[in-house]
Amino acid sequence: MKQFIVNRVLSGIVVIFGISIFSFLLIHLIPGDPVKIMLGINASPEQVVKLTRHLGLDKPLLVQYGQYITNVIQGDFGTSLKTGRPVLVEILERFPETVKLAVFGLLISVVIGISLGILAARFKDSIIDKLCTAFATLGVSIPSFWLAILLVMIFSVQLSWFPIANGTGLRDLILPAITLGVVASTMIMRLTRNGMIEVLSNDYIRTARAKGLRNHLILFRHALRNVLIPVVTVIGLQLAGLLGGTVIIEQVFNWPGLGTLAVGAIFSRDFPLIQGTILFMGVVYITINILVDVLYSIIDPRVDMGTKGA
Amino acid sequence: MGLKHVSKSFLLLTILALSMILIIACSSDSASTSNPDKNPSKVTSSPQSGGTITIGLKEEPDTLDVHKTAMSAASNVTSHIGGTLLAINPDTNELEPYLAEDYQVSDDGKTITFKIRQGVVFTDGTPLTAQVYKDTFDRILNPETGATVAASLIAGIEYISAPDDQTLIIELKAPSAPFLRNLASPGYLQPLSKAAIEKHGNDYGRNPVGAGPFIFKEWVTGQSITLDRNDAFNWPQVSSKNQGKAYPDHIVYKFIKDDQTMLAALDSGSIDIAMGVAPKDVQRYRNNPKYYVLENERQGLGLFLEMNLENKVLSDLNVRTAINMAINKDAIIKAVINGEGTPAYGPIPGTIFGYDPNVENYGHKLNKDKAISLLEQSGFKKNGKGIMEKDGKELALELSIMAPQSQAAQMVQAMLKDIGINVNIQSMEAGTLIEKATKGEYDLSFLSYSYSDPDILFLLFHSSQIGGLNHVRAQNTELDKLLEEGRTTIDPEERKKVYASIQKIVVENAYWAPIYAEKNFYVVNNRVQNVKLSKVTIEYQDSWVQQK
Repeated sequence: MKQFIVNRVLSGIVVIFGISIFSFLLIHLIPGDPVKIMLGINASPEQVVKLTRHLGLDKPLLVQYGQYITNVIQGDFGTSLKTGRPVLVEILERFPETVKLAVFGLLISVVIGISLGILAARFKDSIIDKLCTAFATLGVSIPSFWLAILLVMIFSVQLSWFPIANGTGLRDLILPAITLGVVASTMIMRLTRNGMIEVLSNDYIRTARAKGLRNHLILFRHALRNVLIPVVTVIGLQLAGLLGGTVIIEQVFNWPGLGTLAVGAIFSRDFPLIQGTILFMGVVYITINILVDVLYSIIDPRVDMGTKGA
Repeated sequence: MGLKHVSKSFLLLTILALSMILIIACSSDSASTSNPDKNPSKVTSSPQSGGTITIGLKEEPDTLDVHKTAMSAASNVTSHIGGTLLAINPDTNELEPYLAEDYQVSDDGKTITFKIRQGVVFTDGTPLTAQVYKDTFDRILNPETGATVAASLIAGIEYISAPDDQTLIIELKAPSAPFLRNLASPGYLQPLSKAAIEKHGNDYGRNPVGAGPFIFKEWVTGQSITLDRNDAFNWPQVSSKNQGKAYPDHIVYKFIKDDQTMLAALDSGSIDIAMGVAPKDVQRYRNNPKYYVLENERQGLGLFLEMNLENKVLSDLNVRTAINMAINKDAIIKAVINGEGTPAYGPIPGTIFGYDPNVENYGHKLNKDKAISLLEQSGFKKNGKGIMEKDGKELALELSIMAPQSQAAQMVQAMLKDIGINVNIQSMEAGTLIEKATKGEYDLSFLSYSYSDPDILFLLFHSSQIGGLNHVRAQNTELDKLLEEGRTTIDPEERKKVYASIQKIVVENAYWAPIYAEKNFYVVNNRVQNVKLSKVTIEYQDSWVQQK
C-alpha cells in the first residue's frame, strides 16, 4: 500500500513536470508580445527593450524555463504581468470560488445521477427508464455553455429568480452549479443504472425478495451499496474534472474563479499567470486522482494495488 | 489609442479587453456632445440621497494607481475617486474650472499658471495644495514610476513649480494646443496624496486615496470594486447642479467580461448601467420604458482600411483611390453596426476639433466605373476570371484583420472583387496584427482609434512614426511640416486651417480608405436618474437612485 502511494506520487511529479514544460512552450508559441500589450502600441522601442529585459523575456527559452522552474520549486510562481501581484496570491484568491462551484455542481450531479439511475434500473425497459436514458443522452450532447445561456435567459432574465453577476452567494451559485451538475450527472446516472440492473439480478437480491423484504430496503440497503463502488471512483474523477472544467461556465456566469482568471490571463498574455494557473490546476487534478485511487482501494479491498503480483 | 471591435461574438469581448489595455494617450472612447434630446433620462422626482449605483465594467482594472495603468477601466473607476485641475462641461463641451479655480496662459503659450482651489481635502486628511500637484506630476514624469498614459498626457511639461500653496506654474517645452484638454482627462491626472502613497507602498494601487466625490472602499478580486460617498466633498466642477456631496451612498463596479452576460445582468436588475452596449442590442432598450439609452459619438474612427505604401501595387495612387471608390460605406454601416454610425471620408470624424466638413465634398465617393478606369489607367486589365492583371500578374492583396472584423472584411472583399481586386482575408489576434502592422508586414489592414485631439494624425502619418502607428509608412515632407505645425499652433482658427490642409493631403493621397465613425452606447435602468455623459466621462454628480 505504502509502495503504491509512493509510486503514484512519484509518477504524479513526473506528470506535473511534463505539464510545466509543455505549458511553458505552448504559451510562448502564442503570437503576441506581452510587453507590447502591456505598454500599448505607442510605446517607444527603448521602453519595449527595457521592459523585455526587466521581465527576462530576452533570454533563451530554456534559460527562462530553468529560472521559472527553480523559482516554482521554491514556491515562487512569479508576479502577474498585468497586476504586479504574486501569481500564487491571485490563484489562491480565486481557487476557493472554483472549489465552491465544483463541489456544489458535483453534489447536484450525484443527487440527479444516482436517483435517476436507481429509478431507471427499478423500472427497467419501461417509459421511465427510456426517459431517464433520454435525459442522460441529452445531458451528454448538450453543450454546457448553451445550457448555461438557456438557464440565464429563463431564470435570470425572464423570471428574475436568480441574479446574474451578482456575487458568489448561495443564490448566485445555483444556476452555474445546476449547469455543471446536469452535464456531470449523466455518467453517474448510466453507471448507477447499469450497476443496479446487474446487482438486482444477483442471487442474494432474489433471496432478499424471497424473504419478503420491502422493495426500497432491497434497493437502498442491499443493492445500492454494491453499486456505489465504481460510482465513487467516477465521482472522484469528476470532481477533478469539474475543478478544471468550469472554465466555460465561469465565463458565462461571470463567476470569479480560476477559469475566468486563466482566460483573462491568456488574453493579456500574462505569461506567469497562465503558467501558474495551468500548473496549479495540474497539481490539483493529479492530487485528486491519487486520492481517488487510494480511496478506491480502501472501499474495495478487492482492488489490486499492484504491490503483490505486479 | 484603442483598437475597437465591430462584431459581437464571445471572442470580441476579449479582444475589446485587449484594446482597452492598448488604449494609450487618450482618455478612451469619448463623447462629442451629449444631446439632451437623445439622452432622455426620465426625471420623475427631485433628487434623493441614498442607494447604490451598480455599473457593469467590461474589464477589471490592473491597478488603481492611475500613474501605473493604461486601462480605461482604471481611469473610469478612479475618475470618481479624484478630481482634475480642469473639467469639461458636459453640456457645452467647454473647459471649466474644477480643482483649479482659475488659470492663465502666457502670451507665448508656454507658461500656464493655475490657482488651486482652497478647502479641498484628500480623504486621508491631506489638504490639496499646489505642492501636491507638483509632487503628483513629478511622480508621473519620473521614469521609475513607469507611467504610460499619464506620462503621455503631460509629456510636454518642461518644468513645474509651486511658489505658494495656491499657485501652480507649468512651463511647457513648446506651446501645446492639446495640453489643457489633456488636463481634463478624468482619472489619470488626478492629484495623489503623497502620504497615502508612502503609507501603502506597493499596495497603493489597491488602496487609492483621492480628493473626489467618492472614497475607495473595497476591491474584491475578480468581482467588484465598491466606492463610498465622500461626505466632505463640496467642490464639484462648476457646471454641476449639485454643488454638494453626491446623492448615492455607494457606487459599485462589477466586472462582467461577456457582452451577453452584461445585458443579462442589466435585465435581471443586478446592474443599473451597462457600458459599451453593441449597436444591435440598443434598439430593444430604446423601446423599453424601464431603461434609457445614453449615446455619444466616438471621438475617432470606428473603422478604416490602412494601405501599406511599401507594397508595390499599393504604392500606386490610382490603386489606392480605386479601393476608396469601390467601398460602399453605407452598406458596411448597415450590416456591421446596425446603421448606428456615419460614413467617414477623411482621417478624423466630425467629433474631433479641426474636422473640415468640406471633406464630404472632396472625399472619395462610391464609383465603381471610375475605380475600374483608374486601375486601367495604371495598366491593369481584367482577365478571363474578371480579375485585374498587369504583366501577367493578378492584382491580389492580403487583408489582415482581427476576428471580430470579419464581417466588414468579407464585405470589403466582395466590393473589391467587383472591381477586379482579389482580396485574401487573414484573421489574426490583436497583438499579432499590431505587431505586423507596426513592422509594415501587411498589405491592407483594418484599424480604429479614439483620441480627443487631431494631434493623433501626427502619430498616424508623421514620417518619424514609421515603426510606430504610421502603419501606412507615409513619408510626405509637406504633411510632416503641417503635422508639426498643428501641434504647436495655439490659435484655434489657425489650427483649424492647418488640420483642414492635413485632411486634404491625407484624402488626396488615399493613404486610408476611411469607412465609418460610430457611437458609444450606455444603457441605464430608470431607477438611476439623471446620468450624464460628458465629452470624456460618465457623470454621477447629479445622478440619484430612486428609492422605493
